Amino acid sequence: MLPLSLLKTAQRHGVLVELKNGETYNGYLQHCDTWMNLHLSEVICTSKDGQRFFKMPEAYIRGNTIKYISVPEEVVDKVQEENLRRDEKRPTVAGRGRGGRSWSGGRGEGGGGRGEGGGRGRGEAGRGRGRGRS
Amino acid sequence: MAGKAKESAVDLAKFIDKGVRVKLAGGREVQGILKGYDQLLNLVIDEAVEYLRDPEDPLTVTDETRSLGLLVCRGTAVMLVAPSAGMEEIANPFLQAKDGEQAAEGDDE
Repeated sequence: MLPLSLLKTAQRHGVLVELKNGETYNGYLQHCDTWMNLHLSEVICTSKDGQRFFKMPEAYIRGNTIKYISVPEEVVDKVQEENLRRDEKRPTVAGRGRGGRSWSGGRGEGGGGRGEGGGRGRGEAGRGRGRGRS
Repeated sequence: MAGKAKESAVDLAKFIDKGVRVKLAGGREVQGILKGYDQLLNLVIDEAVEYLRDPEDPLTVTDETRSLGLLVCRGTAVMLVAPSAGMEEIANPFLQAKDGEQAAEGDDE
């Protein structure tokens, strides 16, 4: 399970985000991207000292300011479900493109553990680029 | 394919000509009217007002402001962008709402 694939699955769920400056943001994760930039809705911001609270209808948070994100437990189950679903889909996808074959071949040798969870998140976000490089 | 990977989490287009609150790395907070932006999150903010911080306690912003006029915010320094409409300080919502919130999160699915 990759961090970003968990985050992607957590979309539309309530999450808690703590920034490097100590502020925390509770809200529904509307969207996240490959830089971990987040778009939250119905946000409650808590100041670093935990004494002041601010409500905002939505907020955009830059990924590089994030310390951690707390996601609901049930998202973990979903991520595994989605992994399985995409595993079924994969063979049709794998043949596409020049680099695809060597990429998946390498993974096959590398070990099952990696292939199972690891290939997934990358398939979404980084695949195009990774292939180009190889 | 590349377009999908590069897709950004937020569409600042809907904030154009609207009031936005921007938090910057280092703790400054600015509010103003968003006039433009780019993919690096550089922002153009008109009628910008900085919310000053208490010199004794730099963690919290005060209601004291200073006017900055037309501003270009460098994207790398931008931490948070939120619409200023609907933003308000509230009482601790977690004291009584805690159970309710957990239930709501459960209901979400």
